[in-house]
Amino acid sequence: MTIIKDKSIIDDAWHAHQDNESLVDNSIVNLSYWLENRDSLKTCQQALGLLVDGDADIHSFKDDLSCFAIIAINIPDFVDGRAYSLCRLIRNQYNFTGEIRAVGDVLPDQALYLTRVGFDTLKLENDESAQLAINKLNDYSVRYQID
Amino acid sequence: MYQYNDIDQTLINERVEEFRDQTQRFINGELTEEQFRPLRLMNGLYIQTHAPMLRVNIPYGLLSSKQLRMMGHIANKYDKDYGHFTTRQNIQYNWPKLEQVPDILADLASVQMHAIQSSGNCIRNITCDPLAGVSADEIEDPRPYCEIIRQWATLHPEFSYLPRKFKFAVSGSPKDRAATQVHDIGLHVKKDAEGRIGFEVLVGGGLGRTPVIGQVIAPFVAEEDILSYSEAILRTYNLFGRRDNKYKARIKILVKETGLDKFKAQVDAEWETIKNGPLKLSPEAIQRVKAQFTPFAYQAPASTNAVSSPEHNSGPFRQWLKQNTIEHKQVGYRVVFLSLKSPTQAPGDITTEQMNIVADLADQFSFAQIRTTHDQNLALTDVLESDLFPLWQQLSKAQLATANIGTITDMICCPGLDFCSLANASSIDIAQGITDRFTDSAIDTGNISLKMSGCMNGCGHHSIGEIGILGVDKKGEQWYQLTLGGADSHDSRLGDRLGKAIAKADVVDAIDDIVHVYKEQRTTNETFANTYQRIGIQPFKDKVYDNH
Repeated sequence: MTIIKDKSIIDDAWHAHQDNESLVDNSIVNLSYWLENRDSLKTCQQALGLLVDGDADIHSFKDDLSCFAIIAINIPDFVDGRAYSLCRLIRNQYNFTGEIRAVGDVLPDQALYLTRVGFDTLKLENDESAQLAINKLNDYSVRYQID
Repeated sequence: MYQYNDIDQTLINERVEEFRDQTQRFINGELTEEQFRPLRLMNGLYIQTHAPMLRVNIPYGLLSSKQLRMMGHIANKYDKDYGHFTTRQNIQYNWPKLEQVPDILADLASVQMHAIQSSGNCIRNITCDPLAGVSADEIEDPRPYCEIIRQWATLHPEFSYLPRKFKFAVSGSPKDRAATQVHDIGLHVKKDAEGRIGFEVLVGGGLGRTPVIGQVIAPFVAEEDILSYSEAILRTYNLFGRRDNKYKARIKILVKETGLDKFKAQVDAEWETIKNGPLKLSPEAIQRVKAQFTPFAYQAPASTNAVSSPEHNSGPFRQWLKQNTIEHKQVGYRVVFLSLKSPTQAPGDITTEQMNIVADLADQFSFAQIRTTHDQNLALTDVLESDLFPLWQQLSKAQLATANIGTITDMICCPGLDFCSLANASSIDIAQGITDRFTDSAIDTGNISLKMSGCMNGCGHHSIGEIGILGVDKKGEQWYQLTLGGADSHDSRLGDRLGKAIAKADVVDAIDDIVHVYKEQRTTNETFANTYQRIGIQPFKDKVYDNH
């Protein structure tokens, strides 16, 4: 898997935490793990990220956003557009200023719209698709909407 | 009409190149069919029974003569010399080659046209009243608002992967000629007590498998708020619309399952947070678009009796004048409908030659503009009364003056099994049978709206026809379900099922029976809808099923 940010391939500083392993710095925990262990996790010293599905109920974690340096939104199928609106809500309504990352079934052709709704980083299948996604970010020089 | 600026033009040019790249990658095997499918649909390209089908947008049904000539050029160069107009004011080509589609799009872009979002699970072409700007009962011309909504919806980053397709229709008159009640969002222009312009907003209407009449979600949304309010509806739909079952994914199901009050509360809560943001339209922004829809320089009529000289006493001309033209808000002008329901063509079809003729006639007689209508016809909306006779003569020669607007042979009809891979039954041959049976008696019978779909997806709007015909598949055979009493005007109504489905060979006879009952039972000048309301479905049922 390859991460892109600002039209470049970057190293992934984040580790996808598995429920049964001990917490290390820069771990992304999933929402159910977070909800079960919230009290202890809130006091931990490590930098944390949160992984939610595109259809997650924002009310279950909106008050915790300040605990995280990164929110990763999983897209189960590239045609499922809920992640786009969820990202907008997290960014614009709940004013999350950390990194928002798209993971899961992400097509290079979707890179532009994903970044336009507020995703900072995208996780692509491999270097080749990451490079294509970077190229696709240059497809348009104009837009109608004020993002 | 709206003229593209540099931004508009650059955007569609860049879309052509993006699609060219996607098509090439699909042909090279770099995109799977599953990946390419939503990408091509979002640009109007279906894979149909025989070949791809390309649907081209005609925003709010308005075309320049130059654009119509390009439609004809595309039909000639890339297709079989004809196109098909749809109920949502678009044109479809049934025989393009996949590898040529990017070139077609480039040709379209050269005349400020495109196929962006003419299909797919995104915001589709914005449709409106074909008489916008010329009808006397209009509160305000809806086209500038359609254009504003079109721009907001085009390549919208958040709303391009919705649960299902999403359709807007806008009407500027109390009389609804845009079927707004059967759209995902229907907008009715209103003025409040202070004369400010706004919209009554309907939500959750739609045809298809579960036809629903839209409900009022907001009685008045001010014009400056229409984009933010629409965005709030779309965001709520995108987040909560069902994605587990494509037949339950339209917003009508979400509204029904959530309940209108709760849905409205969700939308209002969302709207509150964005209402005063960048989507708020300034008076200048609205005015900039309105300035492109100014009325034509109409002439004062030369005489008050423009169509009363002896040569105008031709019966066919008089019949056409009565049936195919209506009054214009400007004295001395009339609106002329061009029937695309001649006995020799499938409903909504038009040849390259006819397109070129219509473009020439528009140049000569109607300020170089053409409208497409919800009923799959064309209109020249601004014709001087003194030009009606020469116009009629030329339209007649081109088979475009069939005097049947509003009658039973002016039917709405989808392409059916002959072209569409979704269809269960054919519709074009049934349409032909009905045309053959009723051509001579159509005017005498009076106006009846007949609408036919080849499957329950309902592209032919059968649910809201006074007579509706729905093709169904029964163990591999084509059968037809009839409905009566539907309406698509300002008081939309879904038709009632007549009874069990009818075999293909008996459909035209059954329609004949229905028309017979109406003619027998009607009082003087009583419409089909009123007769039906008065006598109910039983007499029709008795006649049709006793005979078959």
